[in-house]
Amino acid sequence: MIKLNNIVATYTTRRGQVNAVDGVSLEIPRGIILGIAGESGCGKSTLMKVIYGDIGYPLALSNGGVEYGFADEKGHPVTSATIRKQWFRRISYIPQSSMSSMNPVVRIREQFVDFQGPGLNKAKVLEEVRAYIRQLDLPAEAIDAYPHQLSGGMRQRVMVAMATFFQPDLILADEPTTALDVVVQKGILLLLMELQAKMRNTIIFVSHDMGVHYQITHKMLIMYAARAVEYGDSEAIFKAPLHPYTRMLIRSLPTIGDTQLREGVSGRPPSLWENLQGCRFAARCPLATELCRTRDPAFIEHRPGQFAACHYPGEQSIPLEAAA
Amino acid sequence: MGLLHYVGQRLITYVLVLFIGISITFFLPRLMPNDPIDGYIAQIQSRAGQTLSPEAAAEIRATLSELYGLEGSLFTQYLNYMRRVVFGFDFGPSFSAFPRPVSELIALALPWTLGLLTTTTVISWLLGNLIGLLAGYYHNRRLATGLEVLGVLIYPIPYYILALTLILLLAYTWKIFPISTTIRPAPLSLAQLGSILYNSALPALTLVIAGFGWNILSMKALAVSTKEEPYVSFARLKGTSDGTRMFRYVFRNALLPQVTALALSLGTIFNGALLTEMLFSYPGLGLLMRTAVGNGDYNMLYGTITMTIVAVATAALVIDLIYPLFDPRIRYR
Ligand SMILES: Nc1ncnc2c1ncn2[C@@H]1O[C@H](COP(=O)(O)OP(=O)(O)OP(=O)(O)O)[C@@H](O)[C@H]1O
Ligand code: SF4
Ligand SMILES: [Mg+2]
Repeated sequence: MIKLNNIVATYTTRRGQVNAVDGVSLEIPRGIILGIAGESGCGKSTLMKVIYGDIGYPLALSNGGVEYGFADEKGHPVTSATIRKQWFRRISYIPQSSMSSMNPVVRIREQFVDFQGPGLNKAKVLEEVRAYIRQLDLPAEAIDAYPHQLSGGMRQRVMVAMATFFQPDLILADEPTTALDVVVQKGILLLLMELQAKMRNTIIFVSHDMGVHYQITHKMLIMYAARAVEYGDSEAIFKAPLHPYTRMLIRSLPTIGDTQLREGVSGRPPSLWENLQGCRFAARCPLATELCRTRDPAFIEHRPGQFAACHYPGEQSIPLEAAA
Repeated sequence: MGLLHYVGQRLITYVLVLFIGISITFFLPRLMPNDPIDGYIAQIQSRAGQTLSPEAAAEIRATLSELYGLEGSLFTQYLNYMRRVVFGFDFGPSFSAFPRPVSELIALALPWTLGLLTTTTVISWLLGNLIGLLAGYYHNRRLATGLEVLGVLIYPIPYYILALTLILLLAYTWKIFPISTTIRPAPLSLAQLGSILYNSALPALTLVIAGFGWNILSMKALAVSTKEEPYVSFARLKGTSDGTRMFRYVFRNALLPQVTALALSLGTIFNGALLTEMLFSYPGLGLLMRTAVGNGDYNMLYGTITMTIVAVATAALVIDLIYPLFDPRIRYR
């Protein structure tokens, strides 16, 4: 179980400070694929950075922290304070673009082992690497190439291989396939699913594509304006979302046989610089009432295992006036 | 295939640059309003302290015209010139050291200039880039700022002021080095080698320091921006050490534009040669060039200028040819 305890993550900018993640609490069971969705700027990447432990100027953890649910070599439970020591051992990261994330002037095999510290039997490890990448449908010689010599799909496969080589407990992937074409994208996602099923580790996966979330995730987290607004089993969420924003995201998803253009998500999230009062989604919500505009809805479990931050969870039509 | 194409392209460029450069040294003096031969004759007359008879003058003129390849049409002159220069590096005799051929004098001076300037350029490039790398990689630390200040302070100092200051301090006040070079070309021996090193130390020091500042500043800027590249961030997230990231990730990539810059600065070393060799009376090509200008020694001037063109173009070619060693994207296209 990975626990996020009321995380507040703050960027310091010239304009002042802004909370890009503003009080997120979650419990993520081990061995699942968790998908995170939400519009641009809602804090997905920032939350990923916090979970990875990549915290440093201009980002700071103003409150809370992560408990990872596993112990380090000395038996101490790993938390946000100590997670860095586990990078690419117990926790790893698949970057967005494999091309720009690889050193263009160094062979891939060097980049596969250069983080493994001194006293490494490089030849032996490289043999293991070759054997491993062959399992991922890559030729063993792929690691002898320079990044520009491989196709985008192969490069991203190498990245997946790098991130999974040590069988980490937790793998983070922030839009790992956005730079690839649809067919290649599908191959990578299938590979990730396959590896996860084999290794039984946890994957946290950010994507804008609700279709992809539907296909590969076990649980979903919907974020809006630096907050978690819905969390639960993907199946339940897609079948019966609690939050109107989740409904909006799902409705924007095209289905096969569509004749009409799908409804997009209209409007924009509020600026995090404003003094935000009440429900942050109120300005765009068809259900919004006076209560919504004045009282911040708490993030609570409305159905077993399904959480949402909404005064009218699961409502489909506008409720009668004066509910207060 | 890609590499072969690359090398072929560089070689063609090299030949073209040489051809154009040498052609310009042929045409440029012929565009000048005053006739060099008239100048020579006037000089000879004033030296001899008497006037030559018109017949004697005409005779000298004919000899000189032949000697300097000024006979026939412009086109035949050009063909002859190209043939002599390209196949024999033959610029005729020097006027000021008559009758020694220009090519012989250049051959004597060239190793001095090349030795001094390539050594100092490479040393200042290496040192400057290492300091710049540290200053850039650790740019938010106090010490790194100190290193950068070194570059900021040195870079704008004009070379002659720097050189004169060093001469004043290290040769005049504290007599560590000789004020002026006393070596003259001689067969290489151990004693001669020691004397070369001793005599070259001060000019070398001025050149190293002069080239230093720019290398520090440009490498610092490159390192700072390279450090922000996604592959460096990702290397950090993988958990690589600072040393690995600084050298294998930042330095290896920031080096590429600096290699090109090295080619350019090797190209301008002869500018440095002129001033340095004058200041230290160092027996190189620069001094030869200066003497040629002072004495109106045209052949010598064309010879040294052509030599400069050849050296600069060759330096650029060599750098271009070794560049693929640093950048696999050119090696394996
Ligand atoms: N380095 C930074 N400095 C200051 N503010 C930042 C920085 N990075 C992100 N932010 C701000 O934090 C907020 C959340 O950004 P974040 O990158 O987490 O969003 P995101 O959900 O990942 O968006 P996207 O879908 O576009 O990737 C945004 O308002 C953004 O402007
Ligand atoms: S709290 Fe109100 S405004 Fe916010 S999402 Fe729920 S119904 Fe809409
Ligand atoms: Mg993002």
